[in-house]
Amino acid sequence: MSTKQTGIDRITHTVGERLEGRISNRHLVGIGLGFVGFFFILPILYLIPESINFNSSTPFESYRRATNSLYVEVLIRSFIYGILTTIVTLLMAYIISYFLAFSTKRVQIAITLIIVPLWIAYIIRYFGILLFLSPTGPMNTILGVDIDILFSTPAVILGLANVYLPFAVLPIYNSLNAIHPETLSASRVLGAGKWNTLRNVTFPLSLPGLVAAGLIVFILATGSFLGPAVLGGPNQSMIANLIAQAFLENFNIQFASALAVIYTILLLGFLLIFNAVFDLQEVFENI
Amino acid sequence: MLEITNFTKYYGDLCAVNDLSFQIEEGNFVTLLGPSGCGKSTTLHSIAGLVEPTEGRIHLRGKDVTELPPEKRNIGMAFQSTALFPHMSVRENIAYGLKMHGYSSDERTTRVEESLELVDMPDHGDHKPDELSGGQQQRVSLARALAYEPDILLLDEPLTGLDRVLREDMRGWLNSIQRELGVTTLYVTHDQEDALSMSDKVIVLNNGEAQQIAPPEEIYESPSNEFVAEFVGKSTKFQGEVTQEGNRAVVHNDDKTITLPKEDSPQGEHVSLYVRPEDIEIKTKEANVENSLSGTVLEIANLGNRAEVTVELTDETNALAHTARFPNIEVGDTVALQFPAEKVIVL
Repeated sequence: MSTKQTGIDRITHTVGERLEGRISNRHLVGIGLGFVGFFFILPILYLIPESINFNSSTPFESYRRATNSLYVEVLIRSFIYGILTTIVTLLMAYIISYFLAFSTKRVQIAITLIIVPLWIAYIIRYFGILLFLSPTGPMNTILGVDIDILFSTPAVILGLANVYLPFAVLPIYNSLNAIHPETLSASRVLGAGKWNTLRNVTFPLSLPGLVAAGLIVFILATGSFLGPAVLGGPNQSMIANLIAQAFLENFNIQFASALAVIYTILLLGFLLIFNAVFDLQEVFENI
Repeated sequence: MLEITNFTKYYGDLCAVNDLSFQIEEGNFVTLLGPSGCGKSTTLHSIAGLVEPTEGRIHLRGKDVTELPPEKRNIGMAFQSTALFPHMSVRENIAYGLKMHGYSSDERTTRVEESLELVDMPDHGDHKPDELSGGQQQRVSLARALAYEPDILLLDEPLTGLDRVLREDMRGWLNSIQRELGVTTLYVTHDQEDALSMSDKVIVLNNGEAQQIAPPEEIYESPSNEFVAEFVGKSTKFQGEVTQEGNRAVVHNDDKTITLPKEDSPQGEHVSLYVRPEDIEIKTKEANVENSLSGTVLEIANLGNRAEVTVELTDETNALAHTARFPNIEVGDTVALQFPAEKVIVL
């Protein structure tokens, strides 16, 4: 072993010696949980007292206001957009993943092409889509027809699906790729055609990946802020836009907090239902 | 009956199988034997419809199936990986093939139970494949392949993953089931013991070409070329030119003289001679008889029921002989190897 230690080597060596035997896995978990608790759970819990006016005779005034049909509509729209985006994304992701898993040998390149967009800031990607979809943009030139879908529901869903696609492709590809090729051959030899094999063997075996992908996309999409802000009009506002507006434009912290609390509780409720239908622990074990 | 004529398969420029023709009589058990990459799996997959032949025809029970997709061929197949559907129970796995072959729900129930009986697993119907041992999975895989009475059963190294004892059990078991049902079977393996112990006929493949197609005893006792002689079974090899000495053909190899069987005397030709280890006797004293070679014991491998003895001959080549169990000789002993001229394989 070299006895010559310089600079950073000496420091890490000294630190390592000091920590040796004093730090356990429990400490390391503690650091992680502490960080999440202090910077994630506490701030969110803090929204609860912020949403209540303790000095008033009507402390839940903000919650009453949030039940106004105007805001309820936005809330419902957020979940509907979340579901629509999930459906569109899963459909595209399944086709891409199927191709990656069974029809190409250039998996590395293809996966890279799918992941690279994640390196680019969301705002830039949405902006790109905005210019692409605009009436004078390349989409109309390419298709040769005038489709004006900008600032409408299809534009927002298209944008969201586009941006969240990589999050769906990876888990689905993983679960498809884990299927032994002989399993599919066996199905064919047993008398099942391509479609029957897809329906009875490939699809059920890829379900864990599909469920995981759906969950990730749904959570991300429902809470979208930039997508509807850039690609939608006033009628495409989602809950995140509403919260931001209440907080940043109207400086109504109490109302913004109330909306955030409602949204978070609804989302958690949704996840609980989801968990009852699909055993999420099993799903995440399988991917 | 299965008939393969002039089957050829290229992967790009690479020739996997070249002009292979053979047939399997109804109810026979035939083995495709060869080292990995010899083209045996390609052949099997082509029969199943999973690989498209570059050239050649495949006839199954008189019908040309060359162009048919796998699901239209009525073939039963057991894979090396078992290829059981992990999300289905054993019962559902077996019912799958029946359903795809159009059996009614009632027929399926009856046949699934019969198939489970057939493979001695009547109580395992509700298990998932991953709850079963390797041997049990292979049996379910076989039950699944046989349930709908296929025209031919294809077995792709189904015993490869199993340990030795289980493997030997499974051989006998597989054979008895095959005979009981009388199903035409093509078995693919690189294991010569599988091939010799189970088959009516063995096809030895190498580099995509058939080397010999014959019953097991013929493959072992009269191999048609050096590859077959060296791939199937162990032996000691000598080489040399055939000359006539007295009334017998002999080969001189260094200081050794090997007398050939009476019928094999291709005068003046350069030949390879093979002697099987069980045909060689080890004697402690050299006797003045034909085919007696002296040497030194190099290694003794006691295998329980017999011993494999490696002997270094005087010209520093090695010879292999079998003896009775735990022989009364030791490494370093000087011994004489004797074998009858009739047992020498001349190629």
